[in-house]
Amino acid sequence: MIRTRSLRLLVACLAMTLVSAANVSADSREDGQAEIEYRQKVMSALGTNMGAIGDILKNRLDVPGAVANHAGQMADAAALIAPAFKKHLSEGATDAKPEIWADWAKFEDAIAGFEEAARSLASAANGDDPSAVGPAMRGLGKSCGGCHKPFRKPKEESYKNK
Amino acid sequence: MRRSCSWTVVTLVAWSLTFASARADASGAGDLEALVGDVDRGAQTFRAAGGCTCHTNYPGEGDEAPELAGGRGMETPFGVFYSTNITPDPETGIGGWTRDDFARAMREGLSPEGEHYFPIFPYPSFSGLTDQDLVDMLAYLRARPATRRENRPPDAPFPFSWRGTVAGWKLVNFMPKRFDDAPDESDTWRRGRYLVEAAAHCGECHTPRTLTGGLDDSMALAGSIEGPEGQLAPNITPHESTGIGSWSEADLVWYLQMGLKPDGDDTQGLMFEVIEHGYAELPTSELEAIAAYLRSVPPIENRVKGTAN
Repeated sequence: MIRTRSLRLLVACLAMTLVSAANVSADSREDGQAEIEYRQKVMSALGTNMGAIGDILKNRLDVPGAVANHAGQMADAAALIAPAFKKHLSEGATDAKPEIWADWAKFEDAIAGFEEAARSLASAANGDDPSAVGPAMRGLGKSCGGCHKPFRKPKEESYKNK
Repeated sequence: MRRSCSWTVVTLVAWSLTFASARADASGAGDLEALVGDVDRGAQTFRAAGGCTCHTNYPGEGDEAPELAGGRGMETPFGVFYSTNITPDPETGIGGWTRDDFARAMREGLSPEGEHYFPIFPYPSFSGLTDQDLVDMLAYLRARPATRRENRPPDAPFPFSWRGTVAGWKLVNFMPKRFDDAPDESDTWRRGRYLVEAAAHCGECHTPRTLTGGLDDSMALAGSIEGPEGQLAPNITPHESTGIGSWSEADLVWYLQMGLKPDGDDTQGLMFEVIEHGYAELPTSELEAIAAYLRSVPPIENRVKGTAN
């Protein structure tokens, strides 16, 4: 009994040590690097879905329902963007411009526009009129620029050049 | 510094030429008045030229910018040059131009008064346009709304601000574009060549320039770090690791329709504008021709840092 208890205590202590070690290592990372990497993953997930929709439409792949599914995933993932960017981080390995935090309402509007465009594509892809898909697709493509133009550094200034 | 030295030579040549430069015949032009201009066909040529968006000041005035009224500052290594008013306004635009005036501007870079246009205006590419396409394009431009707006002189140091210098530039760098028959190639390829090399004028941004500001033909379409407005222009030859060798023809057509790259990322800057106002509205067959030709040009290794390739 005693042995079990001390074993539990030992496990608990070890666990706490690990947790605090993990905290320390998180804290000791470059300023905001974890947040930056997370939001880059949120954005690449959107890009991956966008690329997948492109693959389907431009190559006429036979994957029924997939365009609507990808577009639905993008619309849902729109809700991840604002929380991921909450912390003001525009220095270092990021292309986020300080304008995001200078005009947060405009940033949220742009995200809302993107979500709406993604929903429109999903419903066009689910609908009966195949000719509605192209314009909806273009609308979604343009909505990327709705955010990227004002809020993402252009390639000329990208951190990837440095 | 090397650039200034080269330009001293070009300027000296220009001095000796500028006052002698007579109004040459619009080379390659037949009797333009005998042709019938068609606004709808002209719209297609206009789109193939990327919607001439350099003539609309979107960066300065946003979506409210008067269409084709010019005044857009184009930053280059030689200074800032402003695009001109190509609306049908008779005084400040091209409303009073004859077909020959238009052909001379597009093919020789000369104004109706015989002044040289700065080569930020891509007449070296447009010199390859057919008579019919020129006449149709002018018909389309004349059908656009007229806006009164005076043209603006460049903000550039001498000698780059002086039109006489352009005479020298032309001697060194300008050869009117002519296409051979290329009998072994397909109709699609020949159409693609015409679109890429003349109408769509891809090389004007995507081919790097020499010290005197001419296109470096040995690096055709291999990308430039000194594109207009200070933008990077990626390598669009089919080189596998530094160009767009991994892009299929379908990828290219999709890109020109949607502005979306194979990885799902979008396009910014001047390229998005020429897609949105031009290439995206072209028939798919035209985009397929562009894609087929671009896939066929020699792959050139040239990494343009900062571009996705």
